[in-house]
Amino acid sequence: MRSGSDTRWLRLGVLLVAVALALSFPSMAPSPYEITVGIAILNYAVLSTSWNFVGGFTGYISLGHGAFAGLGAYGTGLLVTKAELPPFAALFAAAAVVAALAVPVGYAALRVRGASFVIVSIALVLILLLVFQSWASLTGGSRGLVVPRPFPGMLRSEHHRTFYFLFLALLAVALLVWWVIDRSRFGMGLKAIREDEDKAQSLGTPTFTYKLVVFVVSATFTALAGGLYALWFGDLDPVFQFSILSGAYMVLMALLGGVRNLYGPLLGALVVGYALEYAKVEFGDTPLHLVVAGLLLGVVVTFMPDGVIPAATALLGRFRRTGETSIREVTAAELRERREENDTTEVSSERSST
Amino acid sequence: MSGAAPESEPEPSLATTGLTKAFGGVTALDSATVTFHHGKVNALIGPNGSGKTTFFNCVTGMIRPDSGRVTYRGRDLTGRPPHRIARAGLGRSFQLCRVFPRLTVLDNLLAAVRPRGLTGQLGRSGGREETERARYWLTRMGIEHLEHAEARQLSWGQQKLLELAGVLMSEPELILLDEPAGGVNPALIDRICDLVRELNAEGRTFLIVEHNMDMVMSLSDHVVVFDRGRPIAQGPPSVIQSDERVLGAYLGV
Repeated sequence: MRSGSDTRWLRLGVLLVAVALALSFPSMAPSPYEITVGIAILNYAVLSTSWNFVGGFTGYISLGHGAFAGLGAYGTGLLVTKAELPPFAALFAAAAVVAALAVPVGYAALRVRGASFVIVSIALVLILLLVFQSWASLTGGSRGLVVPRPFPGMLRSEHHRTFYFLFLALLAVALLVWWVIDRSRFGMGLKAIREDEDKAQSLGTPTFTYKLVVFVVSATFTALAGGLYALWFGDLDPVFQFSILSGAYMVLMALLGGVRNLYGPLLGALVVGYALEYAKVEFGDTPLHLVVAGLLLGVVVTFMPDGVIPAATALLGRFRRTGETSIREVTAAELRERREENDTTEVSSERSST
Repeated sequence: MSGAAPESEPEPSLATTGLTKAFGGVTALDSATVTFHHGKVNALIGPNGSGKTTFFNCVTGMIRPDSGRVTYRGRDLTGRPPHRIARAGLGRSFQLCRVFPRLTVLDNLLAAVRPRGLTGQLGRSGGREETERARYWLTRMGIEHLEHAEARQLSWGQQKLLELAGVLMSEPELILLDEPAGGVNPALIDRICDLVRELNAEGRTFLIVEHNMDMVMSLSDHVVVFDRGRPIAQGPPSVIQSDERVLGAYLGV
């Protein structure tokens, strides 16, 4: 029991330090540029945590999650510019629209598993790219859509600081919801789906409804991240909003950190987000940042298929190995002994048949 | 089990009428009409390819029959999705034992809990009552010392016991076991037989698909023999053992 409460305190301590660092980052940053990097990383973190509602719990790998971010971004932008809603009302209205759209999309896509689901998710983002590029009268097409700033008159650096905290708050909510689901019975049902969907259903879990609910939750958080990005960045282009690349980044980050872990996608976003930013600064406008992302993916898949957090935990476990033996070391004789002990204590209902 | 007492009409448990399923040109189930007995240990036997597993999959909703009806204690279950059938009181194991490989042994059982309502769904998994119930079943299977191990770390036999524990955790009235003795050592077969007898005495009905004839004949009250997708004989083991059609179709005598 002692080691259990030990790790709980350790976890709480790490969490407090991380929160303190995250909160004080904008005041420690030497220039607004560092804050924008921080925002980009937080945006990635929200996106990959949102993706992980589906990917981590159910094991359904969506490469098209960029579609929901793009819809959230354009939805927010269009509601501000065309419907003249206040910016944050537009953000939540757009997320609600995306949630409603995710129901039929999920209803169709979640009928297929494995590689077929991946392909359906890619199709979704590609179709939306064509729509938003072609429908120029509404979306501005390839010329882009300019979203007015939500806080007019605010200094640029103050604008960045504000959005840094808004993204941080959104991340906190996404993590909190993931945590609640993770420890719930609903979450246990989702994990059973990830492990063996037919088996889960044969035990009485309404697997399709479960998948659909968590898909909508995931799409909603993804849309909120996209919408917040639109309000922060102020300029949307279909090529970047509806890109397979953004979905691929979410997958890469979540895999890198570990999809079974609450903080996995966040950690992945820190590593990948920083690496991407570094590559962009070092190599300019070359595609070398994609090479960096590809290399990271290769390293993760080869050496840490479960992600950084499980790999690190396993490594730690090796150092603090106690006298505890592995289950393989329980001999058959010991097993029988224990069983016999149980049999005698058990109310054994002997039947005098045969 | 009721020895000398005269056989009263047994209450029907799972029953099918005209159940048919074809895969392309192969008719796996050919208008199968069968009734199993409530409160008893029923067995379904037959040569490989006689449609036993297809029958299992049709009655548990894993595949949809082409035609025919499935009822459980008079209630129509035809074409219902698997989770509905599970909630009607049917629990099943799989031919090649299926557990949730990367969940712990305890979580494998907690995943079989069926929460009700939003608070039930979002409530914490592994509360005291359900953990105690899970430990009870693990203890009865004799694998309670493995509760924190991942299911994939268990031996084949332990996984079989874990699968059964998971099914029991879902509180079924009728338990369908697909080859419970498959690939299992003799000592464990005895253990599984004992468990089936105990659980039957506690009121659970069993339907067992099995190739191990010793096990079938010693364990079951009612045997149905399948050949080419339909029942060719049904009755108590003593009658089945001397039935010529069965000997011809199955035992190859």
